[in-house]
Amino acid sequence: MTGTGVEEHNVPSPEEADLLVRLRAGDERAFEALVERHHTMMIAVARAYVKTHAAAEEVVQDAWLGVLKGIDRFEARSSLKTWIVRIVVNNARTRAVRDARSVPFSSLASAHEEAAVSPDRFRGPDDSFAGHWTRYPRDWRSLPEEVLLGQETIGAAMRAIHELPDIQQAVISMRDVDGWTGEEVCAALNITPGNQRVLLHRARSRVRAALERHIDG
Amino acid sequence: MADPGQHITCQDVVELVTDYLEVALPPDDAALLEQHLNFCEGCVFYVDQMRTTVQTVGRAGGPDVPDDTRQRLLAVFRDWNRS
Amino acid sequence: MIAYKFLRGDGTSVFTGFRWPLPEGGTPGRWVDAPVDPCRSGIHACRLAELPLWVATVLYEIELAGDVVEQRWKVVASRGRLVRRIERWDDQLRDAYTRMCADRAHELALGAAPPLYSWDAVVEPSVPEGPALLGFVAARIGEERWGVQGYQGERARQTAWLVKHLSLAG
Repeated sequence: MTGTGVEEHNVPSPEEADLLVRLRAGDERAFEALVERHHTMMIAVARAYVKTHAAAEEVVQDAWLGVLKGIDRFEARSSLKTWIVRIVVNNARTRAVRDARSVPFSSLASAHEEAAVSPDRFRGPDDSFAGHWTRYPRDWRSLPEEVLLGQETIGAAMRAIHELPDIQQAVISMRDVDGWTGEEVCAALNITPGNQRVLLHRARSRVRAALERHIDG
Repeated sequence: MADPGQHITCQDVVELVTDYLEVALPPDDAALLEQHLNFCEGCVFYVDQMRTTVQTVGRAGGPDVPDDTRQRLLAVFRDWNRS
Repeated sequence: MIAYKFLRGDGTSVFTGFRWPLPEGGTPGRWVDAPVDPCRSGIHACRLAELPLWVATVLYEIELAGDVVEQRWKVVASRGRLVRRIERWDDQLRDAYTRMCADRAHELALGAAPPLYSWDAVVEPSVPEGPALLGFVAARIGEERWGVQGYQGERARQTAWLVKHLSLAG
């Protein structure tokens, strides 16, 4: 599900306000809708902190309980989804410390710079036109529509996302799958705008490369 | 980006593209990138591939919530609702 | 302020695809408004000195109004309207400009001591990609020979050629 348009991240959206009312009234369907909407992305966020998928599932299940327990006290000073993700982050951090995992965002500080595209695709420094493509990337607009819209390509994108390092997966899930704005991601994950862009850049670059390999065969 | 002078390379473009699409490049850097796109069809294709990648990711969505997870969470909800 | 704007052959913006209201008969196109948020939005245009940087298929004279911000490589304004198409910028003149840049690039590359053979080899294969690339190649070779001044010098030559052949100044 992708978000469209500009959403405030510091107040619940009209859709969220409605779910809030129904949830507080004990409406099971409202809870199901919330789960459907956010659960997968919550797992991605938890995975950025904890070691295993099983640990992430436990963290997120606890987070849902935390959401339910806190729902009456939720003061709507942020959007519902930001509040939910913050609960996940807090739980995940606690769990990570308990499991003695090292600081999850150490990848941000890593000295190893991921190149968006392999350097062998560009002319070397001794070349005239150093740094330019040796061979142009393909014009995807010339591909038949079915190729880009088809299930195989979408499947290749999904596989690529799941192979991303956890924190990159969390950011691209929130931004490009779920339609969060950059500001919303920063608020929920407590990272700087610069960090958010770096992670988004690396994630998108890897997925593009995977799609290129899939399309070129 | 350190002062790139008068022009940037394709290798620069592939590192700047996310900031460009996010409208986070300073105006002069964005102008240098666009000047490059103006003569470099390869980079036009690359930037378009990036846009297409974002759209495709949007269509990918997440995997559906597994049934057993859904059941477990419903049980959590019903317990909470009862109390 | 009067400035210049290149568009694609179908009258859309090169980078945004925005469809511009075109001049008809002697009448300028309708005014377009866009709040200026440098590099986010606003009407983008260029001064004479930047013509070689932005060459594309069709060229218009554009009138800018409202908030006008002069940046290093372009001008950004909150209002603009296309005044007239510069008819002389057609396929023939584009090809002539491309050839002028290619000839100049050869001259610069082969006139170096020792000659810049690898740069010279790039020139003819680049010609089919058109005037924007050849302008860049010539300027790059100027840069190889004389640094930033060489680059800027070649761009100034390109501007002078365009201004003369399009009868733009004055």
